[in-house]
Amino acid sequence: MSAIIEFKNVSKHFGQLKVLDKVDLDINRGEVVVLIGPSGSGKSTLLRCINGLEMITSGDLLVDGMSVKGGNKTLREIRQEAGMVFQQFNLFPQMTALENVAFGQRHVRKMGRKAADNSAQELLEKVGLGDKSKHYPHELSGGQQQRVAIARALAIKPKVMLFDEPTSALDPELKQEVLNVMQKLAEEQMTMVVVTHEMSFAKQVGTRLIFMEHGKIAVDANPVDVIDNPPNDRMKDFLRHV
Amino acid sequence: MNIDWSIVIGFLPALLNGAKITLYITVTGLIGGIALGAVIGLMRAYGGYILNTLAFIYVEIIRGTPIVVQVMFLYFALPVLVDIRIDPMTTAILAIVINAGAYVAEIVRGAVLSISKGLTEAGRAIGLPRWKVVVYIVGPLAFRRLIPPLGNQCIVSLKDTSLFIVIGVGELTRTGQEIMAANFRAVEIWTAVAVFYLIMTGTLSLLLRIIEKRMRIL
Repeated sequence: MSAIIEFKNVSKHFGQLKVLDKVDLDINRGEVVVLIGPSGSGKSTLLRCINGLEMITSGDLLVDGMSVKGGNKTLREIRQEAGMVFQQFNLFPQMTALENVAFGQRHVRKMGRKAADNSAQELLEKVGLGDKSKHYPHELSGGQQQRVAIARALAIKPKVMLFDEPTSALDPELKQEVLNVMQKLAEEQMTMVVVTHEMSFAKQVGTRLIFMEHGKIAVDANPVDVIDNPPNDRMKDFLRHV
Repeated sequence: MNIDWSIVIGFLPALLNGAKITLYITVTGLIGGIALGAVIGLMRAYGGYILNTLAFIYVEIIRGTPIVVQVMFLYFALPVLVDIRIDPMTTAILAIVINAGAYVAEIVRGAVLSISKGLTEAGRAIGLPRWKVVVYIVGPLAFRRLIPPLGNQCIVSLKDTSLFIVIGVGELTRTGQEIMAANFRAVEIWTAVAVFYLIMTGTLSLLLRIIEKRMRIL
């Protein structure tokens, strides 16, 4: 297995604040990496550095061999390799579900309208929303919106999917429909990096669990091994609270 | 006190002509002002340090001075300073462009910045170049929020044209004053002038309400 994401001594500062501290991390194709940690530990920042929504301060970060420091054009290529799903869904409110999904294909992948609409419809069916294609985001529940957002990210045919707390803004009964879609993706061998507090998802779907603390990777292990048996007190304490 | 409304009828053509000039200055001035304001507003929202500062200085100077002073400056001071002479009509239009431009810039900036940062990130995250994010995602959303304050500015600018009486442009207020000077029918003439303004601003308000109704704020 070869690494598709390579953090090489990556640091990230916001002014004086050090958010990522000399992180080294290789993520291989097909892995489902679950990132956990207390708030402010740098897990979201680590994720957002991968597609360049945050620029790294030092070190290097390669995605499919391309450096995030390679300039705007390279960055756009990286973003086409790494789809992102946000906590707040961020669907384009002036577009229907279908238009949201087709938009990236038409404007980024330069697909024709017809082909883009067809493949968008397929993707909506894949996330179980084939009948909602003409609905606007405000007409959908949070769980449905998040599934559309996943379809939108998948539409640009990424090699990696980045999830930034995808179920944190959802009511408990809506979380599961999103987690099910994510599980299906993992079963299709999609490489995934997931920031989440859903420990059952981490155990069932995750192939690797990373516990972050103070901008460093504190624990990097198999989820099943460490969730029930945390290797240190900080993680034990953290897991007691989620 | 003898008030005779029938005398207004005789002056209707003159007043109508004044209203036409008012409308002409307003419409041409606002087309320019909205275009200028859009550019300046985007400079404020997206420009780097230099563009942003330049735009900021422009907005502060214009918002900080009365429009009468601005039009006087254009008409009387500019010829002295740089030897450019412009006729009253052009001066009037230019004054609306420059003045409305500053206010529209702030309206545009506010509308653009009110669109959630998450939507911009979502656009960038699917690999869109920055300009496409502005044109396809932020733009259409900001436009909807722009309509109410923009309509307000249109009404203000229409009424501001009455101040061009100071440089002798024959718009509605000036026409009213000229008629008044000849027959001293203050009540009838100024009422008629006010009604003309109300018809124009009323139509604008109505138009805006229709546009707003057809466009959901998202």
